Amino acid sequence: MSAETPPTSQPLVSVDGLEKYFWENDSVLDRLFGDEPVAVRAVDGLTFDIHEGETLGLVGESGCGKSTAGETLLRLQEPTDGRVEFDGDNVYDLEGSDLTEFRRDAQVVFQDPFSSLDPRMTIGDIVQQPLDIHDVGPTDERRQRVRDLFERVGLSVDQLDRYPHEFSGGQRQRIGIARALALEPEFLVLDEPTSALDVSVQAQVLNLLADLQDEFDLTYLLISHNLSVIRHICDRVAVMYLGEIVEIGPVEDIFEAPKHPYTEALLASVPRASTDERERDRQTLAGDVPSPRNPPSGCRFRTRCPMVIPPDDLEIDQEDYRAIMNLRERIERRDISLETVGGDEEFEFTDGSIPPADVDAFVDALRERVLDRELPARHAELVDGALAELASTDWDAAGTQLREVYASVCERDRPDLGEDGHPVACHLYADNECETLENVR
Amino acid sequence: MISDRIKSNLSREFRESLLAKVGLVLLVAILIMGLFAPVLATHNPHTTGYFDDDGNAYPPMGVSYDSHQWVDGERVTYTAEPSADHYLGTNNIGQDVFSRLLFGARTSLMVGVFGTGLAVLIGVPFGLVSGYYGGRVDDAMMRVADIMLAFPSLVLALALIGVMGSLTIPIPDPFVFAGVADGMPASTPLPGTVTLVVGLVTWVWFARVARGEAMSIRNEEYVKAARSLGANDREILLKHVLPNSLTPVIVLATIQVAAIILLESSLSYLGFSGTTLSWGYEIQQGQDYLRTAWWVSTVPGIGIVLSVISINLLGDWLRDSLDPNIEGEGGGAG
Ligand code: SF4
Repeated sequence: MSAETPPTSQPLVSVDGLEKYFWENDSVLDRLFGDEPVAVRAVDGLTFDIHEGETLGLVGESGCGKSTAGETLLRLQEPTDGRVEFDGDNVYDLEGSDLTEFRRDAQVVFQDPFSSLDPRMTIGDIVQQPLDIHDVGPTDERRQRVRDLFERVGLSVDQLDRYPHEFSGGQRQRIGIARALALEPEFLVLDEPTSALDVSVQAQVLNLLADLQDEFDLTYLLISHNLSVIRHICDRVAVMYLGEIVEIGPVEDIFEAPKHPYTEALLASVPRASTDERERDRQTLAGDVPSPRNPPSGCRFRTRCPMVIPPDDLEIDQEDYRAIMNLRERIERRDISLETVGGDEEFEFTDGSIPPADVDAFVDALRERVLDRELPARHAELVDGALAELASTDWDAAGTQLREVYASVCERDRPDLGEDGHPVACHLYADNECETLENVR
Repeated sequence: MISDRIKSNLSREFRESLLAKVGLVLLVAILIMGLFAPVLATHNPHTTGYFDDDGNAYPPMGVSYDSHQWVDGERVTYTAEPSADHYLGTNNIGQDVFSRLLFGARTSLMVGVFGTGLAVLIGVPFGLVSGYYGGRVDDAMMRVADIMLAFPSLVLALALIGVMGSLTIPIPDPFVFAGVADGMPASTPLPGTVTLVVGLVTWVWFARVARGEAMSIRNEEYVKAARSLGANDREILLKHVLPNSLTPVIVLATIQVAAIILLESSLSYLGFSGTTLSWGYEIQQGQDYLRTAWWVSTVPGIGIVLSVISINLLGDWLRDSLDPNIEGEGGGAG
């Protein structure tokens, strides 16, 4: 909203290396059977600042960890590692009255206005609840404050005694906003505040949030998958992919001059009238989001990145390279069913191999199946060599052959998010290649 | 706390369900019987010796039976006719079966309600805490519950009674005090041990239901919202988790009242209740005379069956009306 760039003063919220892992297979039984706990890296090393009075947008596909980041930042979940400074104090060290104060100063508005209001409380009680918890003033003062809040967010005070289910989504979201404002906070996390609402209501709620920000000097962290919402309201934007921030910068720069290939792909898909989150993602970005249980080495976007960087000594068309990398992915995941290759005339596997005489036919049939484009002769040969290994189900050999030729810097090194005004985590923008982190995983 | 939507669901289900109406009528009748037993009873349930001139127990109205006795080496057949004084006849020691049926209803209802209340008081907090905190706390608490569940409740109840002995608590009768029920017992014995024991063997069911509810409610966004507002665990448990988990607890409680009435009957049939004013005890008393004085066992048996059925019918009605799916449909709360 405020168009000027953020002040250089000390940030209100300062996030440093925030990590939140969830553990699977971590029960007593699992340990008894010797199953290793698996870390789901929902949030994996976030670092960013939010300055007073600004709105920072956190954008990414569903499942990229942005909501977990918001909740962890508010200490609704305990972090695995990292720190968050609010007004100079580490939020995770707060106790007693300091923590109480933080709970007053930082509030959250949730995505789902249906589940974020207790169905058994009247909306008046819901909005008064924060005042009750913090013992603010005498009872009639609290009542009056609730009435004022209702008026401010555009609700009728006659409805105080009604239950949430009697209201529409937009009205409920206003109730949620009134509740968040009750304690006069400084900082609000808006977790997809409009994505459960009708398009017509979205704009009203966004405008209300913008007005409230001006009126009460609020600082916002807006979490959304919806780029038009982000653009409408944010001063700066952080783009998240698989638990990491890949690019962060002023809203104009991100939208007019995106750097990271992921941001570009997201923007290319901007719907003029927003449709369903997942549907849209599927249209433009090829491939599935990898699992955060076992994220790709190096750059996490490399399994889908159209710009993935070929080795220096390799002359290859970018699209051909992408196709070969996709094939490599599948071979390394053993994600091709060899038994059904060749359609009706299947190949007989005895002891995991097919008769040597059939290998050429098998490779042809397999290539037909897994590659949708003609490769230049040199690369076609290399690929055929790898596919031939699959005739004896030797996945490792096939993978190794391809890796030796095609391994990319994007999978070896994890790109660093730089420090300048518009940092981006991508090797295409690394000014200094030797500074990239050696991947240890 | 009971929203209009729930009220309208209740009345709609009631209108549509014949079984619910039958259940309600039966239960109200049984409640009246139990509550007003001293007023409605025709005789003091403890008074013995109501026999006809030939020394036979009276049969219920409209029934007569032949009894054979040996008089001076000769087999004499008497025909026992009912007495208008004893609607349901008398039992083997000449007590009025109708009056004892009324007082038996009292005992059953008291044990059913107090026993369930105790089970709720133990089980619900236990389950809510276990489900809300989860993790290690939950693991430990649920192992305790599993161990309880591993014992059949009757066996567990007998073992507990064996340890504690059977104690009854005399509850003074207000009607007798008010002077409207002369000649009736001045107090009704509540089988204290049995009530305690049925509570102790059934709380686990409440714990499990409450735990399941708490586990889903703790992830609701309104709980997260409360936490971000600074509410502590106690406030969240009392203000959000408890009220929102009550629906299934209420349904379970109705069904448990019926189950506990059955359990109480079994215990008093086996002679452990400490009171003779109990349907189970009556059945046990009458079983030697089933061929002639069949009503002595049958009347309290019917009492048990009808009360269990009526409570279950009402439980079904509550469950259907409070079903969360229906609730979600009404409010769009999904
Ligand atoms: S580092 Fe490589 S894979 Fe990652 S975004 Fe940049 S070019 Fe694409």
